[in-house]
Amino acid sequence: MADAPRAAVVVEDLTKRFRDFVAVDHLSFTIAEGEVFGFLGPNGAGKSTTIRMLCGLLLPSEGRAQVAGLDVARETEALRRQIGYMPQLFSLYPDLTSVENLEFYAGLYGLRQPSLGTRIEELVVRLDLEAVRGQLTGTLSTGWRQRVALACAIIHEPPILFLDEPTSGVDPAVRQQFWNLIGDLAAEGTTVLVTTHLMEEAERCARLAMIDRGRLIALDTPQALRDGLQGLLYEIDADPLLPALEALASAPFVMDAALSGATVRVRVAEMGISREAAIRDALAAAQVNVVDIRAGEPSLEDVFISLVGDREEASAR
Amino acid sequence: MRRPATLRRMLAVARAEWRHNYRDARSLAIVIALPVFLLLIYGYGINLDLRDLPFAVQDLDRTEQSADFVNRLVRSGYFTLARAIQDTREIDSVIEVGAVRFVLVIPHGFGGDLASGRPAQVQVVLDGGDSATASVALGYLQALVGDHSIHLARRWAMRHGLPASAVEPALRVVPRVLYNPELRSVNFIVPGLIAVILTLLAALLTSGCIVREREGGSFEALAASPIAPIEIVLGKLLPYAVISFVDIVLCMVVGRLLFGVAPMGDKALLLGLSLIYLIASLSIGLLVSSLARSHQVATLIAFLATVLPSLLVSGFAFPVRSMPVALQAIAQIIPATHFLIIIRAIYLKGAGVSAFAPRVAALAAMALALVLLTVRTFRKRLE
Amino acid sequence: MHDLAIRTEDLTKSFGEIRALAGLDLEVARGEIFGLVGPDGAGKTTTMRLLSGLLRPDAGRAEVAGLDVVERTEDVRRLLGYLPQTFAMLHELTVAENIEYFADLYCIPRGQFAQRSDELLSATGLTEFTGRRADALSGGMGQKLALICSLIHRPQVLLLDEPTRGVDPVSRRDLWRIVYGLPAEDVTVLISTPYADEAERCNRLGVLVDGILQTVGTPQDLVARQTSRPIELQATEQRLARNALEKLGGVETVAVVGQALRITVRRDGPGPEEVLKALDGAGVEATEAHWAQPRLADALLAIAERCGKDG
Repeated sequence: MADAPRAAVVVEDLTKRFRDFVAVDHLSFTIAEGEVFGFLGPNGAGKSTTIRMLCGLLLPSEGRAQVAGLDVARETEALRRQIGYMPQLFSLYPDLTSVENLEFYAGLYGLRQPSLGTRIEELVVRLDLEAVRGQLTGTLSTGWRQRVALACAIIHEPPILFLDEPTSGVDPAVRQQFWNLIGDLAAEGTTVLVTTHLMEEAERCARLAMIDRGRLIALDTPQALRDGLQGLLYEIDADPLLPALEALASAPFVMDAALSGATVRVRVAEMGISREAAIRDALAAAQVNVVDIRAGEPSLEDVFISLVGDREEASAR
Repeated sequence: MRRPATLRRMLAVARAEWRHNYRDARSLAIVIALPVFLLLIYGYGINLDLRDLPFAVQDLDRTEQSADFVNRLVRSGYFTLARAIQDTREIDSVIEVGAVRFVLVIPHGFGGDLASGRPAQVQVVLDGGDSATASVALGYLQALVGDHSIHLARRWAMRHGLPASAVEPALRVVPRVLYNPELRSVNFIVPGLIAVILTLLAALLTSGCIVREREGGSFEALAASPIAPIEIVLGKLLPYAVISFVDIVLCMVVGRLLFGVAPMGDKALLLGLSLIYLIASLSIGLLVSSLARSHQVATLIAFLATVLPSLLVSGFAFPVRSMPVALQAIAQIIPATHFLIIIRAIYLKGAGVSAFAPRVAALAAMALALVLLTVRTFRKRLE
Repeated sequence: MHDLAIRTEDLTKSFGEIRALAGLDLEVARGEIFGLVGPDGAGKTTTMRLLSGLLRPDAGRAEVAGLDVVERTEDVRRLLGYLPQTFAMLHELTVAENIEYFADLYCIPRGQFAQRSDELLSATGLTEFTGRRADALSGGMGQKLALICSLIHRPQVLLLDEPTRGVDPVSRRDLWRIVYGLPAEDVTVLISTPYADEAERCNRLGVLVDGILQTVGTPQDLVARQTSRPIELQATEQRLARNALEKLGGVETVAVVGQALRITVRRDGPGPEEVLKALDGAGVEATEAHWAQPRLADALLAIAERCGKDG
């Protein structure tokens, strides 16, 4: 960020209301050129709505946003040439082949031969689409389809890219490839705003904005967010597992308890003392056998849960 | 134990479908507004009665008698004199541009012939492009001419001191119109329309209801539950049978209030028989819905499979007996053909079951066969 | 009662040219949470559809609670719960009405139904939302409702096909809390997931690739069976480092984890020092290379990659 001081996206007090419902509530942030900026939040927190406003597809109710120096509400047409947008359900034409879809989107952006052909071949190589180039996209698996969709979204080499849950339903190996490509694009100077529910993906962002009920609740690097987590973490191997979880979840000094794999993970209030004894007592009272207790490293999921909480999503859509 | 379970699952499907309909504004609009709307459009639109048909006159005779004759046509209310033509060459052009539907040519000597009691002739040049209107117009025209000639003959007889009966033509064609004495076409059209509208509605309603679940993603869990195909089929039919039954009552009320057309026969009988017809039509839609790949395709196929035949082949617009043999055979396997005969018989003739018992039997057999076919072909699998 | 909740023998299914499942032999014990993992198109969904009788096998057989799925489809369906991957509730119906609908489909006696429904609603935190229409629910709430509906008839065996796809971490926790509690109610769970952290929560895992069951074992077994070991390192030019590492002999997988690079190397492959040296030789700046704790994610990635190369 230090070496990319220019701002690609500037958002000030951006607000969107649908009748009485405030989907996005005075959001402000800045994304630097070449940054991979992550959007994290519960379903219905306003992430997609924000992206749609930044793409000029929705008009803000209040506030303003500039993308590539262009006002999203007034300079929409010029804006569209500067951005690539991959919505959650990207509209590939199922009865066209991968390459035909690419040709279609290239046509939308006015690309002509011979540069069109060169660009398509470049993307086929880069996204490893050779195997499916002649296949109808309606018959592709989710992972392939998302790759073709990404290729379509970047066919016109946009300096700014908006990706809304691009890896939903994509298997881990393909996700790795996908994120490698995002990293490469950023290294070449493309600014990327991406939403995800997966913490392993969030870890790969330069900075993260956590959003809940339309409001910005945290904004920092993954490392800083983890460092800023309140409380101490413990990982406990116990038998039986579920009573252990229940005993700890209801203990007064425990802020948060959850299962992670076959271990119980708890976050306890930091009082300058070790809480190990208190944990052992609580588990002994519940007649749970403790196999192991160790200090845990904070994860982004811990941060997310601590900020969003175990509250119910009252703000659904 | 089996029966209550069956009933409960069937009702669960029916209730869900019912709720879908009353919460989905579009469905509701189709259900209530569409039949009334169609009845209004077609009731007023497909009116075969003649009114103010424009015509032209080339009066080569220019006598009191010829003017009198033209006057008589105009006074009938069926025809409007649009223009008078001087030149024979104009005849083609006024018809071609559609300014008039026919041209009446009154030859020289028309008045003289009449005055001397000789038969007179007039020539009518008709626009045959719209053959239906042309033949109706010709029919009216002939009737008027006949009427007028009698009137003239009487006057001639009176003037010559002869009794009117002396010139009464020995053979007079007196058309006697059965069942629709006023020859009002709405009397004939409205019952037919009700049948066609119900066909359209029934097919539209059910054509979406299974494919919609397949597309929406709720089908897989339904299919993986212990419900049997017949329970799904009957559960889906039930709410739409109720809805379209309400619609037929609605159509009958609108027909009575706006067109003054009411069944002469037993209304309860008509409603009962229309229920059988509805089950057949709804099953066609359901069958299409369970086989189609997408909602649009289902709607289109249901439309093609029900509305077109019921409009064209069933006898709604053209009499079945005047069709080619192949089409007549097809007409027999279309439920609408039989229902049209029933509904018209009850509406226009006030007939009872005995008059069309074979039709009722055919309809019931088709309804049963269609329900069974839908159940048999219903796929509780995904391939 | 049967000790095996699910048993398949040589289960095979093709769609046209595509072989979706090739001779699956699977045994899931009663009360287990069994995870089916593997890349897209590996045959996970096909397996679930075969087990629920939605597809007919080309060859082989499948039993649920000792009942043959083809011969006794309707009996199997009564004791099976199934949450399909692309499942959606009936949109125009409210939460309560959707639950009632499924209770009716399975003919749950009214008395039992009310209690069961309340229990599941409070466990998922949906009690306040019973009057909300299903199409107004967020993704996470929708999946919770779907889970309630698939559990309303107290199935003996529950099939969950990627139930947490597109669901946020908070809802994901809620969903898993319910799944964890199921074995205590004598419910066997077969769950598919694309996420390694979720796979870790299963008692046993089956890794499916290209319609073939590659390996079965506890998550710990799978990690222990790994022949390669992970190394983590930092690189300033990630892309260059990745490319160089992919070409390096003895390196099995290359992945980016957070801001670090994580590779797995074979027993005979290079250690941390050699890796740094090799990168330096290729002109790529890298630091802090060290042996890392083996993880399930490494194992799953390695299996998928190995099979991908074979195919």
